[in-house]
Amino acid sequence: MAKFTYLMLIVALLVTGWPLLPARAAVPAASLPDGYEKVAENATFDLYLNRETLAFKVLDRRSGYLWSSNLDEVTREDKLNKSWTAFARSGISLEVMDAKTNTRRVSITNAPHTTTIQLLEQGFAAQVTFDEPGITVGVRVLLEPEGVRVEVPFNEIRESDKYRLAQLHLYPFFGATKENETPGYMLLPDGCGTLIAFAAQTKAQNMFYGRYYGADWGMRGQIPYNPETRPAHPLSAPVYGVVHGAGRHAFLAILEQGSAFAELQAHPAGVITKFNFIYNLFIYNESYYQPTNRSGAGVTIIQPQTNAFDIVQHYRFLTGAEADYVGLARAYQRYLVDAGVLRPQAEPRGVMPLRLEFLGAEREKVLFWNRAIPMTTLEQVRAILAALPAQQVEVTLYGWQPDGAAAQPPLHLKVERALGSEGDLRSLAQTLQAQGGTLALYLDPQAGLVGERGYARSEVAEAITRATPRGYNRGSEQIYFNLKAVQRRLETLLEDAEAAGATLALDGVGYRLYSDFHPTTRLNREEALRAYQDLLGQHAPLALYRPNAYLWGATRAYYDMPLSDSGYLYTTATVPFLPIVLSGYIPYYGPALNFSSNLEEDLLRHADYGAYPAFFLTQEATAKMLKTRSNWIYTSSFDQWQDEVTRAYTWLARLLGPVQGYPMVARTQPHPGVTVTRYANGMQIVVNYTTQAVTVAGTTVPPRDAVLVQTP
Amino acid sequence: MKARIGLGWLLLVSVLALAIGPARADTPYTTWTPGPGGRLFMTQDAYVPWAEVPLAIAGAEDLYQTPEGVLYLADTGNGRIVRLSSSLEIAAEYGKGTLAKPTGVFVDETGTLYVADARLNQIFIFAPDGTLLKTLGRPTEPLFGKSREFLPRKLVVDKRKNLYVISEGSVQGVVQLNPDGHFIGNFGANIARMSLKMLLQRLLLTREQLEQLVKNEAASPSNLAIDQQSMLYTVTAGTLPKESIRKFTVSGRNIFPAIHGSTSFRDIHVSPEGLVVAVDGGGSIFEYDQHGTLLFRFTAKDYGEQRLGTLVNPTGIAQHGDFIYVLDKDKNALVVYQATAFAKVVHKAVSLYMEGFYREAKPYFEEVLNYNGSFIMAYQGLADAYFKEGNYPAALQAYRYAEDRNGYSQAFWELRNTILQRYLGPFILFLVVWSVAQGFFKRLERRYRWLDPLRQRLRALSRYPLVDDFLFMLRFIKQPADSFYYIKRDLRGSLPFALLIYAWVLTVRVLSLYVMSFPFNRYASPAQIPVVNEVVLLAVLLGLWNAANYLVSTISDGEGRVRDVVIGTAYSLFPYALFMLPIALISNVLTLNEVFLVTFSQQVVLAWMALMLVIMVKEVHNYSFSETLRNVLTTLFTMAILTLTAYILYLLFGQVFDFVQTIWQEIGLRG
Repeated sequence: MAKFTYLMLIVALLVTGWPLLPARAAVPAASLPDGYEKVAENATFDLYLNRETLAFKVLDRRSGYLWSSNLDEVTREDKLNKSWTAFARSGISLEVMDAKTNTRRVSITNAPHTTTIQLLEQGFAAQVTFDEPGITVGVRVLLEPEGVRVEVPFNEIRESDKYRLAQLHLYPFFGATKENETPGYMLLPDGCGTLIAFAAQTKAQNMFYGRYYGADWGMRGQIPYNPETRPAHPLSAPVYGVVHGAGRHAFLAILEQGSAFAELQAHPAGVITKFNFIYNLFIYNESYYQPTNRSGAGVTIIQPQTNAFDIVQHYRFLTGAEADYVGLARAYQRYLVDAGVLRPQAEPRGVMPLRLEFLGAEREKVLFWNRAIPMTTLEQVRAILAALPAQQVEVTLYGWQPDGAAAQPPLHLKVERALGSEGDLRSLAQTLQAQGGTLALYLDPQAGLVGERGYARSEVAEAITRATPRGYNRGSEQIYFNLKAVQRRLETLLEDAEAAGATLALDGVGYRLYSDFHPTTRLNREEALRAYQDLLGQHAPLALYRPNAYLWGATRAYYDMPLSDSGYLYTTATVPFLPIVLSGYIPYYGPALNFSSNLEEDLLRHADYGAYPAFFLTQEATAKMLKTRSNWIYTSSFDQWQDEVTRAYTWLARLLGPVQGYPMVARTQPHPGVTVTRYANGMQIVVNYTTQAVTVAGTTVPPRDAVLVQTP
Repeated sequence: MKARIGLGWLLLVSVLALAIGPARADTPYTTWTPGPGGRLFMTQDAYVPWAEVPLAIAGAEDLYQTPEGVLYLADTGNGRIVRLSSSLEIAAEYGKGTLAKPTGVFVDETGTLYVADARLNQIFIFAPDGTLLKTLGRPTEPLFGKSREFLPRKLVVDKRKNLYVISEGSVQGVVQLNPDGHFIGNFGANIARMSLKMLLQRLLLTREQLEQLVKNEAASPSNLAIDQQSMLYTVTAGTLPKESIRKFTVSGRNIFPAIHGSTSFRDIHVSPEGLVVAVDGGGSIFEYDQHGTLLFRFTAKDYGEQRLGTLVNPTGIAQHGDFIYVLDKDKNALVVYQATAFAKVVHKAVSLYMEGFYREAKPYFEEVLNYNGSFIMAYQGLADAYFKEGNYPAALQAYRYAEDRNGYSQAFWELRNTILQRYLGPFILFLVVWSVAQGFFKRLERRYRWLDPLRQRLRALSRYPLVDDFLFMLRFIKQPADSFYYIKRDLRGSLPFALLIYAWVLTVRVLSLYVMSFPFNRYASPAQIPVVNEVVLLAVLLGLWNAANYLVSTISDGEGRVRDVVIGTAYSLFPYALFMLPIALISNVLTLNEVFLVTFSQQVVLAWMALMLVIMVKEVHNYSFSETLRNVLTTLFTMAILTLTAYILYLLFGQVFDFVQTIWQEIGLRG
């Protein structure tokens, strides 16, 4: 009888307490298979380890969802061959390279190996030695308050004489899904952000792969330049996200260390395998082609020293309303705030800034000598600013140096005489500052212009092939400097500029990261990353063009923010990931609107993404500089653009002025072609891209227009 | 039926524009337009990629779009023709079972399909419901040729239902058939070019050797299109880019000028609005107006990145309204591009301009210039508009920017005309008064000798050696042969003055290029003149002549010393030195109607100079006439040999330098 009562009591408790158990997600959480033991737990997560394959699982106790780092069992339907099965089941896989630069892949489950595992308080540390190649790799997985941290310290890596470690695939199948069994998408930091939805088939014929921060000039020397193509955007932030059902579960993977040598690999289902998986691949050794004579014959050899860097990767898990791309962006923002990269800004002033870049002078060849053509003198800059309604203007002077934009900027501040004197510069800077704006001089401290005087051979970096790294920017061929030269140029000019009341706008150094193989100035890419962080961190924050994430701590303003993605066929939507991350912390300006082929569309995009407008202006008509290197500026004359600039500024200022300084907190798309973005101060901006008027939340928005809704 | 189809396409555009929403990505290509100097300059995007539509086709080789916008594809791999609906899905198929390898399709206004089959080498005509109406095979008319093959690949049909067929490898041009399939004639053949090398080969080689060389035949046209006025356009792959697209009148005359083209065109289409689009094998898309002026060019080639709007193997192109459709054979998809606001303004301006509404087109062209200040076509349109309005000064400047010499000349004529009419009367009066006064003055001067002190002054000046040399130069005009004798005997003429003449000749060369009026000048603007090239070329030429002449004359009993040759050549250049600059100056008041004056006087100057050089050789070296001729020819030959030797030495030394540098690098690498 007593037993019966107790039984009824338990049943009653279960029945009443059932709703209190963590809500079961609509996506079925996999039950824990054999081989997994619990190794750590904290307030939110449980960590399980499979000692044999080094796979781990994380149970998010808030939702009861189980995240897996690998596939546990592979059935025949999955159609994976032996190599891919091992790849999917093993925690890590390696690409090993022999002396003849042939590579092959080894995974834990398909190669003889020895594993030693130590259990730590919040996780585990493992050393895996692959017997045949003789390579050892150490991996640590630890729980953190917001998720999991995976580390691969460099000092635990051992290579053998015969084999070198070429690449490390770190937990490639973390969060992988099969075809369209799980709804959701992958988020890539391509351009401003792009999504690849999970589907059974894909248009991709190849996976997406891209190194963070673009290719390394130090390994390549010279990347061929084709003026007829527009290159894809490089990945500017070492982060990616995966959503398993919008509004349900998501995770964000952030690389704290090792991003300079990491490559993002995103495989939609249908490319090679039936699985959607995305992960970071790390490059320790590469083979490269060393030309030995001028006609191009040469040998392919392995780089002499292995890249020395540690890997620290964080996985942050999100549930519920946070589990979409907006939540992922805000999680990344929180991470950056905690790390001290993003700092709270001054009080919002309610004024939208305008960015104007002016071309000062250019140089053309007349008979036998060169002549500077003044395109915009300092007096004319002043007049132009007076003629515009903008109150807070960020002015960038491009081509301020003697002989204009085609010449190498000098170390110390010297203004081209035809534009004015240093005194004029000083007074212009003071006028701007009084209105709350800034005057910045354009400088690319890494670049030396090929064919110009003004830099020495000793300043130039060296690629691994002993060639000099060369590239192209703004119509000129450039050669790149070593760190010491960059530091010297930056600091001397910054000092002079600050003495005159101005500041600098730095191009190049924000997005160009390369290793230097010169024996006296040797620097690998990860070291270069830290060095640039230190270099720019010593000074007050400056305006940077398209800075990568590691320099956001030193960014006062983000210029040239990409407002679109690269247009890959297999991506499904463009999302403003980068704008949401930076909104409210770093003001960002879009690309110069002169070069827009559809100004109306681009202005709507600015209103949608919260980007401030930028224009490239000159006083003289562009017909004057058609024979110069700046003929990529195909339209800029202020007489032609004055009305357009005024109109664009007034329209956008009405929308973005009131929300200036506030971060974006939510973004929805109630109808196709209509977006609603909500800011932290409660205001909403509704953008209507369609050609019909729409009514959203009681407000009617005219076609091709945007409206600011001030919620009471 | 037709109206419904038109409406359907309108619906397509509006529905899809609402659904797809904002264009998301940067274009993977840059867009170029012709600017000053015939070069291409970058400009805003004219077309942005809109969608890539995969279709259930295989190896499709041709695309045709009716003026109402209905698309037909030649689905070559599946042996059928498909018609697409307004939402770009396969709506109907034709010819399945009958066709083997259709590579060309055309649909007329009644919906009748004409298909060229490449395996059966026949033309099939289908009714709109799909029933086979007629099959046309190889024409049997003797005019077609006894052994000539009939390999139909592409075809178009004009308003009178004549068929124009591209037969593969047909160097005689397009095959023209009447509606019954009888051969009418050849149309629009390309021209075979003769080069200097071929000329020499024909002169020197024997018949057997010539047989072994590849025959110099004209390239055969590769594709064709027809417009609303039944004018035919052909594209030819494998010829010079400037002749790759040709537009023919009904009589078969090509009315396209030299264009910016390509060597690998695949397809061409003329839209109902009169714009010509073409695509080439490298993935470049070209858009022209009715006169062959390039408007835009962009290269959408896929380099493996798989971005929206890239092409792997384009085989067909069509344009309707604001969209361009490109058929990609390897992707089995239709890549669609949409015109941007910028392109729409350009199209509007161009269409008004083509119809002659210059004044209505003016505001649009001004807007185009706001977008891009180097858009040549816009300046042309503005210039014509100003000319029509009678605003000749503005037209003049606009023609200058547009690099239209004819237009400039006409506008200048008008301006000159008004000035002449206003001032001619007074001017003639002034001339009369002046000559009368001059007559009087001369008479009085002879009596009172007022100008004697001036004459004494001038005579005193001529004691300076350089002035004397200058006056000596003027003596050459009347007594050339005699004056060379004075040089030989060191009586007059000095080396410093000769060098001065050489310097002056170089200066005149450059100055005349600067000063010469625009209609007569090879270069459209001073910035385009390659000054260093001109100066170096001329200096080298003069130096070579002097050296070669002296060398040749020493071995053929010439009496002249180095000094004589150098000074003699300098003085022989006097026609150029004295008269070239005035001719260039005068050209500023002439128009192209008087081009004869300018070119003739330039030719006289050059001929005179050549004559003087010959006389110089004869007199300085004391030759007979035949010896002089021989000497001059040998000198020219020697100059060529000297140049060749210099070039060979340059190559050889370059190799040595390369070799040393390679060794150095290897040591550094391996050591």
